[in-house]
Amino acid sequence: MKEMEHFFIGKRTIRKDSIPKLTGMLKFSSDYYVPGMLTGRIYKSPYAFADVRRIDTSEAERMGAVVITPDDTPSKLFNPRLVSVLEVTYKDYQVLTKHPRYLGDAIAAVAAPDEGKAQRALEALRVEFENIRKPILDPFEAMSPNSPLIHENILKGDERINVKNNVGCTLEYSEGDVDKALENADIVVERRFKTNRRYHMQLEPKTSLCIPHADGSITIYSTTQTIHNTRILIGQVFDIPLSKINVVKVPIGGAFGSSIQVNPVVPITVALCLKARKPVKISLTREEDIYDHVAYQMHFRIRGGAVKAGKLVAGELENVMDIGAHQIQAYPLLGTALGWFVSLYKWRNIRYFGKAVYTNKVPTCAFRGYGAPQVSWAVETVIDELAEGLGIDPVDFRLMNYVGKGDVFWGQGPTVKSVIRSDGVPELLERGKELIGWDRRRPPSEKRGRYRRGIGVGRSFHTSGAGGPISGEAIDYTGAILKVNEDGTIDYITALQDHGGGTLDAHAKIIAEELGIPPDLINIVWSDTQTTLYDVCTHASRGTYVGGGAAVQAAKQLKEKIFNYAIRVLEKAVSPDVLRIGYDKELKQAVVYVLDNPNIKITLKDLATLAWQRNWGSIATTVTYRAKAAPPSFTVYFVEVEVDTYTGKVRPVKVIGGADVGTVINPDFAAGQLHGGFAQGWGMTVLEDTPYLGNGELMNRGFITDYKIITAQDMPKLNDFQVIFAHTYEPTGPHGAKGLGEAALNSVAGAVANAIYNAVGIRFYELPISPEKVLEVLKKKGGE
Amino acid sequence: MTEIVKPSRHNLFNTHILPVSFEYFAPKTINEVLDLLSRYSSNAKVLAGGTDLLVKMKMRLVEPKYIINIKEVEELSYIRDEGEVVKIGALTRWRQLEKSELIKKSFPALYDAVKVMGGTQIRNMATVGGNLCNASPAADSAPPLMVLNAKLVLASKRGEREVTTTQFFKGPGKTVMEPDELLKEVIIPKPEEGVGSAFIKVARTATDLAKISAATALKVEDNKIAMVRIAIGSAAPTPVRTPKTEEALLGQPFKPSIIREKVRTVVNEISPIDDVRSTAFYRREVSKVIVEDALIISFNRASRGG
Repeated sequence: MKEMEHFFIGKRTIRKDSIPKLTGMLKFSSDYYVPGMLTGRIYKSPYAFADVRRIDTSEAERMGAVVITPDDTPSKLFNPRLVSVLEVTYKDYQVLTKHPRYLGDAIAAVAAPDEGKAQRALEALRVEFENIRKPILDPFEAMSPNSPLIHENILKGDERINVKNNVGCTLEYSEGDVDKALENADIVVERRFKTNRRYHMQLEPKTSLCIPHADGSITIYSTTQTIHNTRILIGQVFDIPLSKINVVKVPIGGAFGSSIQVNPVVPITVALCLKARKPVKISLTREEDIYDHVAYQMHFRIRGGAVKAGKLVAGELENVMDIGAHQIQAYPLLGTALGWFVSLYKWRNIRYFGKAVYTNKVPTCAFRGYGAPQVSWAVETVIDELAEGLGIDPVDFRLMNYVGKGDVFWGQGPTVKSVIRSDGVPELLERGKELIGWDRRRPPSEKRGRYRRGIGVGRSFHTSGAGGPISGEAIDYTGAILKVNEDGTIDYITALQDHGGGTLDAHAKIIAEELGIPPDLINIVWSDTQTTLYDVCTHASRGTYVGGGAAVQAAKQLKEKIFNYAIRVLEKAVSPDVLRIGYDKELKQAVVYVLDNPNIKITLKDLATLAWQRNWGSIATTVTYRAKAAPPSFTVYFVEVEVDTYTGKVRPVKVIGGADVGTVINPDFAAGQLHGGFAQGWGMTVLEDTPYLGNGELMNRGFITDYKIITAQDMPKLNDFQVIFAHTYEPTGPHGAKGLGEAALNSVAGAVANAIYNAVGIRFYELPISPEKVLEVLKKKGGE
Repeated sequence: MTEIVKPSRHNLFNTHILPVSFEYFAPKTINEVLDLLSRYSSNAKVLAGGTDLLVKMKMRLVEPKYIINIKEVEELSYIRDEGEVVKIGALTRWRQLEKSELIKKSFPALYDAVKVMGGTQIRNMATVGGNLCNASPAADSAPPLMVLNAKLVLASKRGEREVTTTQFFKGPGKTVMEPDELLKEVIIPKPEEGVGSAFIKVARTATDLAKISAATALKVEDNKIAMVRIAIGSAAPTPVRTPKTEEALLGQPFKPSIIREKVRTVVNEISPIDDVRSTAFYRREVSKVIVEDALIISFNRASRGG
């Protein structure tokens, strides 16, 4: 741990976008309007598994609409997500398809001068279907040799591969000898788990606007976590040179991973725009958005063993993922699911079978935590059971076996390994125990009465990005441009997107700290692809760690250039080595001064003006940056719940949310991540799911009336929710910082499930643990 | 199998676009409303707060040719204390009920429902009449009004008539109203001394439709149940009363063990289903629990004189 005095980092500051957001003045993609713009609507398949024989567009065209069908769009297969390297990118998407594989696949699209006209044109399309088949909604049924193939062949990179038994991709791994180790174990626990299929419910439904220009180029505004990958994908699909595509960074109303991939709405908008030669905008309705993406649903089998002394000896994970109709990042997830598993605890002998299976359901994509909330829930249940079986305190058992400082960590899968250098787990577990009152925890057998309380612990982590010392299967680098303006203020230009968590504010503070310039004098430029360097995507909790790392490096480079100019005017100094830059509290601005002679100084403002007036030239720098590690941010939740055994309802009574994020850049934003992470995790554990009707339709038919998420009123009172941060410093991070967004969610479900067990003595192996399930099991157990 | 289809349901079903045209009226008086209703009858729909109707129109479940927006009919919006009864105009917003000391004091069961109906934004828009006329089995206003013996005044050019809240509902989305009728007013008799009432809603989250709900009104004299009314929502095609259970409770001593025993029969008086919100099993089990809980709250409120 390294204590440093900070001027800006760690201080509470107001977000730069807070007033535009509070006043409703911030413009999101769907707020954009350009003259002559058409509105598009997409014809979604009414069948979950069928083929299109014919599309009659005549009536819609008579109405004046521009119509596109699969015959108008490139037929090449693509994967909308470009984060993995080509060789491990599985492609089965088309812009529009004649072979709908879930109820919602895009078949055609129309554009008309307004939304009402577009909707009427959409309703005038006549589509003839053939080979209408019964949808396959269960992954195990899908794998049966008798089941028809949802995709017969797909592309892996540029190579065409045949799909067997509807298995889209697989990954297996083995280390040591699991069977032998389990034979010698004193306790073995084997359990099957099933997770829920959660909708992201990000505030903003997906939108895309494409504007054509006279020179053949296009400009795109869209809901995205990655402007550069949007540009590359559109370039690849439509064979347009990247120099003719500009993707503008627009504020997004949250994403939770649902816009890591280029949203299917984007290529459709582009195709309509290219045909209409007019600007076209498509905003999905909420109902369409629910049919656009959903979290990965996983079926696990875990077998874990330990010896009496409390040492784990082996862990086996079987992971069957129900990925729905298309692959977005199923293959890398097979790797990270293994990564989460092996990096949670030292199993010592490991075996893994991972399969991603197609079904005729809404396609799955990353959802905050990218499989870690699911894996951690299951592992934390097994760990709790092992501890209980051995008669060891669950907290002690975790401390004895967790992967921590000095251990090899490969959260992002087998190709992204690094050694853990900062580890706040012991501190978080010890302090959390004290704050929740762990000592008053009693076994479920001692609980009586209608309302029963229980305390549980769950831990997890997330990586900070997907970087590392060697180039693996994930692309992870970013860029930053800094320029000192003629009055000494700074423009910070990055392609990195802020989901709404305040990532770019963190960067501004990091730059401010490095240069001693107040954050409010740093302009975060709303940039685009043509004026920024490549950034892969804001995902994997990399925003602060990787983007902040680039910001530090850019600020350091900028500092050298500032010194090279300052040396011209500061007396005594003969080498830039003796110059320093820092915040002057009285002048409230950055000042360059001579080491040990602080009175020999010049403000950055005066220096910048001088450089302009004397024709010295601009002070600016460019950085392309890859992080050399992807360190884990550890989180621990202690949760007390109350179960109403008459209604099965579970209420959160008290929460201690602990996070090891290294240096805390902004305590309010960080605490907010834990509150939000808990709310989302609570919803995952007790509430959310998207069940299907037999025809492949969602039971909620797309309506959020029947997809509820947790409200503030369902959360514990603020006084009963305590956030703690470990006192750690990550040597590879910007000013010692690590990521947080996903880690804040990953450990919730395990803690809540363990608390429910502690209250009523029942383990649930299927999410959500709804009141209906709780009551049914309690009734069975009670023999009533 | 080959089939030619128009867009799928979720291309039509949405809560954003309204691509149909209709004629729109904004009358200022009840008479004008009744004239329009008499003229356009079942081709017309009355728009009050719009929190249900507009959603249904965007979902294309109803496509009225004529919309009669009653928002500006001021004579339909009031909460009036008339001694024996309180009269509530059909256009009264839920938020007005929430802010009314009279409602809070006189009708605790209704006030319980007001507090859990939607969020503040919905309560600012939604009206008492709209909640009833939408005739959802989950209507939060229904069970309390049923146990409070509220009467509904239906008006048309042909005259006015009164029905009880219990008589009002005929099925999901269906009421006894004729196409030319307007729900004008809700009349709630003030409960006599010693009556307590309560409403309990079980939902997925704090802002949700009921999985199941129950309202009770109770009077205990000499530790014997002298009057009891029970209504259950979201457990049958309409909100329902449970007369057999009520009868069995009458005259019984108010003892927790007896209450628990006697409320078991409510499950025979409901017909819940499995749906996206919950299961029939759950609704049956929990109906007993919340009726018992509501009776105990009603009893405690009566004892405290409220």
